[in-house]
Amino acid sequence: MPGYSEFYFNVDHGYLEGLVRGFKAGILTSADYVNLAECETLEDLKLHLQTTDYGNFLANETGPLTISTIDDKLKAKLLTEFHYFRNHAFEPLATFLNFITYSYMIDNVILLITGTLHQRPIAELVPKCHPLGSFEQMEAVSIASSPTELFNAILVDTPLVLVQQPWHIPKSPPPHYKIRVSISHLLIMQWKSYLEAFYKFCEKQGGTTAEIMRPILEFEADRRAFIITINSFGTELSKDDREKLYPTCGKLYPEGLHLLANADDYEQVKAVADCYAEYKAVFEGVGSGTGEKTLEDAFFEHEVKLNVLAFNNQFHFGVFYAYVKLKEQECRNIVWIAECISQRHRTKINNYIPIF
Amino acid sequence: MSGKDRIEIFPSRMAQTIMKARLKGAQTGRNLLKKKSDALTLRFRQILKKIIETKMLMGEVMREAAFSLAEAKFTAGDFSTTVIQNVNKAQVKVRAKKDNVAGVTLPVFEHYQEGGDSYELTGLARGGEQLAKLKRNYAKAVELLVELASLQVGGRKKRRELLVSYCSEMETSFVTLDEAIKITNRRVNAIEHVIIPRIERTLSYIITELDEREREEFYRLKKIQEKKKVLKEKSEKERELRRAAGGEHEPANLLAEEKDEDLLFE
Repeated sequence: MPGYSEFYFNVDHGYLEGLVRGFKAGILTSADYVNLAECETLEDLKLHLQTTDYGNFLANETGPLTISTIDDKLKAKLLTEFHYFRNHAFEPLATFLNFITYSYMIDNVILLITGTLHQRPIAELVPKCHPLGSFEQMEAVSIASSPTELFNAILVDTPLVLVQQPWHIPKSPPPHYKIRVSISHLLIMQWKSYLEAFYKFCEKQGGTTAEIMRPILEFEADRRAFIITINSFGTELSKDDREKLYPTCGKLYPEGLHLLANADDYEQVKAVADCYAEYKAVFEGVGSGTGEKTLEDAFFEHEVKLNVLAFNNQFHFGVFYAYVKLKEQECRNIVWIAECISQRHRTKINNYIPIF
Repeated sequence: MSGKDRIEIFPSRMAQTIMKARLKGAQTGRNLLKKKSDALTLRFRQILKKIIETKMLMGEVMREAAFSLAEAKFTAGDFSTTVIQNVNKAQVKVRAKKDNVAGVTLPVFEHYQEGGDSYELTGLARGGEQLAKLKRNYAKAVELLVELASLQVGGRKKRRELLVSYCSEMETSFVTLDEAIKITNRRVNAIEHVIIPRIERTLSYIITELDEREREEFYRLKKIQEKKKVLKEKSEKERELRRAAGGEHEPANLLAEEKDEDLLFE
C-alpha cells in the first residue's frame, strides 16, 4: 500500500517493530567500545559485556575463554532474536525475513557442495554452516550427484528456488583449481541473483519499505561490483567473466558496470566512482598505506551509516534488515577487539567501526 | 698407569727410525684435526648467531601473521572452511641439499613454490586485500621456518631423516654439529695426551736401550783389553824368568846379517 503504510502497518507488524527498536537500543555505543578497548584480558571483556544488553551470555562458559566461543555465543544471541521475529511474523514480513536468510543459505549450500565434491562426511560440514541460513534439506544436498538433480530434488523445495540462476556445477570433477574457480563463480552468481530478487521484492512492497531498502541494496550491489573489480586485478578472471558477475540492481547499472568491467587498475576504478557522488566520498576516505583506512573499511562504514538511517523512519521492514546487519557488524567489532587483546597487538585496536 | 705404557717393540736403530716417523705423523695429524675443530667451532658459532636472530624474527613474523589473520577474518568473514575444503597439493615445497663444512655434511633446506596460487579467488567477493596480505605474511612465516629448520637440523646430520623440524621440539637436535666438534676435540686430545706421549716413551725407551747396549759393548771391550794386558804382563814375566835361567836364547833371526853356516861359498 504505497504511501498509506502508517494506517495498516501496526496491525500486523507493530509489535515486532517495537521489539526490534528495543533491541536496537541495546546495540553497543562508542562509549561501550572505548571501555572494551581498555580491557587487558578476555575476562575483562566478558565483565564489560555483562553490563550491556548481552548480559550473562558467557556466564555458562567453563574453561578458558576463547575468541571462537565468544563469536559463537554472540551469533547465537542474534539467532534467537531473529528466530523470534521470524516465528511471530505475518506476511509479507515473513517473506522479507526469509530473504534476509537467503544470503546465509547460499553460503551454506556452496559450503556443502564444496565439501561433498571433496568427499567430506556430511556430519562434519553441517556444524560449519551459518545458523541463520539453515534449512531442513541441508543434509540432503550431499546426496545429489548432479546439478540438475540437486536443483530438482532439493533446492526446489527450499526458498532458494526464488533465486533463479541456473546452477552450473560441472558434472565431472575437473582439475581442482577449476573447481575452486567455478565454485567461487557459483557463489558470486548466486549472490547476484539473490540481490536482484531481493531488490524486486522490495520494489513490489512499495511505500516506505522500498524507499528505505532501495539505497541499501543498491549500495550492496555496487559495493560488490567495486570489490570484485579490484580483487580481480592480477587474477585469471577475464573482463567478460567479470562483467557477468556484477549485480545489476545498483546505481552503477548499466554504464558504470560497463566502465568497471573495462578497468585495469585501481585508478580507473576510482575514476568510475568519482562519477557518483556518494561513492566519490567513500573513495576519498581511503588511503593506501597500511595504517590508514582500507577500501573495505570505508565500505563497511558507509553500510553502517545507511543502516542507521533506516531507523529514522517508521512503518517499514527496513528496520529488521538494518538490525540484523548492525548486529553482525557489532559481532565483528567485538571479535576484532577480543583478538587484538588476546594477541596483545593494540596498535590497531581502534579499527572497529562504531555504530552509534 | 695402564694405557700409558710404551709400545712393545724390539729396540733397534730401525725401530727408532720407525718410531720417529710415527711421532711426526701423529703430530701432523693432531694439527690438522685442531684446524678442523676450529673451523667447525667457527661455523657453529655463526649458525648459533643466525638461529638466535631468526628466532627473534620468527616471533615477530608469527605475531604479525596471526594478527593479519584476525584482520582478514574481520573483513572477509569466516573463510576457514573454504580454505580447508580446497586443500589438495602443497604449494610450497622444501628441497633438501647437502652442504659440506670441513668434512661434516649438513643438510640445507630450500623452499620453492610449485603450481599457481590456488587461493586466488577466495576473497573475490570481500576481503581480498586482507587475504592477500594474510597470504604474504604466512608465506614469509613459512620461509623463515624453513630457514630455521635447516639451521637447526644442520645439527642433525647423524639422523637420516630429513624432516622439517620446528623450533621448540628440535632445540636439542642442534647438538649434532656440536657432537661433531666434540668428537674432533676428543680425537685431538687423545692424540695429544695419549698417543704422542706413548710414542715418545717408546722412543726414549729405545734410545735408552741402545745407549745401554753401547755401554755394555764398551765395557766389554774395556774388560777384554784389561784381560789382555794382564795376560801380556804374565807372559813377559815368564820370559824374563826363563831368560834369567839361561837356556833360552833368541830364536834365530832370519834377517840378521850373520854368517849362515849352510852357505858353502861366500
